[in-house]
Amino acid sequence: MANSSRGAFGVNRGATWLSTGILTGFSLLLVYPFAWMFFAGFKTNKEVFEPMQLFPKNFSGEYYGRLLSGEWFDFWQVFLNSCLLAGGQSVFAVIITAMAGFVFARYRFKTRAVLFILAISTILIPRQVIALPLYGWLIKLGVTNSLWGIILPGVVTGVGILFFSQVFRQIPESLLEAGRLEGASEFRLFWIVLPLANSALLTYALIHFILAWHEHLLPLLVLQTPDKLTLPLALSSLYGSSLRYPKAVIMAASTLAVLPNLILFALCYRRARSALSEVISD
Amino acid sequence: MHSNEIAGPTRYVGLENYHDTWSDPRYKKALLNTLKYTLLCIGVILPFALWLSHLLQHTWKPARPVFSFLLLLPSITPPMVLALLFLLVFHGRDGLLNQMFVTPFGLKAINWLKDPDWILTALVIQSVWRWTGLATFFLMSATDGIPKTYLEAARLDGAKPRQSFWHVCLPFLRPMLLFILAYLFIDAFAMFSGAYMLLGGSGGTSDAGLLLVTFTYQTAFEPFNAFGKATAISLSLVPWLVGVILLILMGNRGWRIRAEGRSA
Repeated sequence: MANSSRGAFGVNRGATWLSTGILTGFSLLLVYPFAWMFFAGFKTNKEVFEPMQLFPKNFSGEYYGRLLSGEWFDFWQVFLNSCLLAGGQSVFAVIITAMAGFVFARYRFKTRAVLFILAISTILIPRQVIALPLYGWLIKLGVTNSLWGIILPGVVTGVGILFFSQVFRQIPESLLEAGRLEGASEFRLFWIVLPLANSALLTYALIHFILAWHEHLLPLLVLQTPDKLTLPLALSSLYGSSLRYPKAVIMAASTLAVLPNLILFALCYRRARSALSEVISD
Repeated sequence: MHSNEIAGPTRYVGLENYHDTWSDPRYKKALLNTLKYTLLCIGVILPFALWLSHLLQHTWKPARPVFSFLLLLPSITPPMVLALLFLLVFHGRDGLLNQMFVTPFGLKAINWLKDPDWILTALVIQSVWRWTGLATFFLMSATDGIPKTYLEAARLDGAKPRQSFWHVCLPFLRPMLLFILAYLFIDAFAMFSGAYMLLGGSGGTSDAGLLLVTFTYQTAFEPFNAFGKATAISLSLVPWLVGVILLILMGNRGWRIRAEGRSA
């Protein structure tokens, strides 16, 4: 479109300001609870129940400090568990689903269609629904009360396979042919092609990390001892016995539970967005 | 299914667990609530996100990346944390929602999490707040992918903005809309963290907010471990999910055939 100040539908300036205004309002609705949560970590118990008051009367970092020093639960241990869980799942998931996606995108074999449909259909069934039968299996495997019990069921996802099969479909066949002529093995070809998809790899790792960070039901079933807790679990136990704890602690812990995702997401946002819209618009 | 897989000897009980489940009135209540919840979520989020993504096309350009980043904030937040925040939003008489949107209009404060008429609405509000941004983001990416020449051509042919939206944009957005539909459907059906935290693991006053996954969890662990039965409840969700997703896919195909028939 010649005139860049026009939107897709060709409209005037009034509409520009109106839509910017409406979206600003909506964004404020989205941001307010987060801002409130961050500041609530500095507040007294009485102030926490004043939702319209954003800033505390006097800032005291006391609760953040006591939380980090492990007064209520071993914060750094729990934080480490969450990182290991989300990081582990994310790394394994990228390796495995990228390989699977490469095969589905690049090779023709007899059972391909059936296997692909099977893989994709796992998207339809949410983790929460199969959590209990899965738990039964984990008991048989002997990985209960261990982070492996959460990492292992999460390393293969239908979404990942679908995502990477889309990504590797876009790589020109001539590149693979050239590699084959040079005598590279099929695995070596995958290894050569991999860097071409690094934005996609990063994006998927990010998404998977965020989703693994959120997991609640399966960890609730599998992890039992305090040294194995993850952040969502620690938060819910804080909340469950909240009468004994200052409210600010819960809010401080919540803020710290969001922070890693927020930082990672902000760092990768630009690359993730372009990689995502490439896959989406395909 | 076995009577109890975790503790004690297992006993093969045939379809007894499935039968028990189906005849349990609480199961029916949970199923009905889940369906209501799912339909309400989709019915609000999808049109709302479509509208917002449409507005995003007209915004002041430099603000666009900021908006699209903020839209994704709720979806990167652990559901656990969201539930904690929403306790405050819905809190009794002085919650954020009451203070911002209910009492200023002279209405009586609503006890969102205790009043059986409002519990499900509260859960829907939480879900709308959480997913509208993500849906908008996806629709925005899809809208950006529409070749500008089509819109230009429609404009030159004298199509009004509304017409070009319905007849040019919407057909292009259809695959994305169906993807979001399926996503919201699966997410709503599997709603756990939010309901579990907001209602303290219960179904709320007179089970008005009892959802299927909460019910499964309750059956499995409270008051005695009826593990086989809980598994039966979990597995009874699968046909529902698969059925509806197949319907969505078939709808997609039927739509496409009709559209092609019309253009031919």
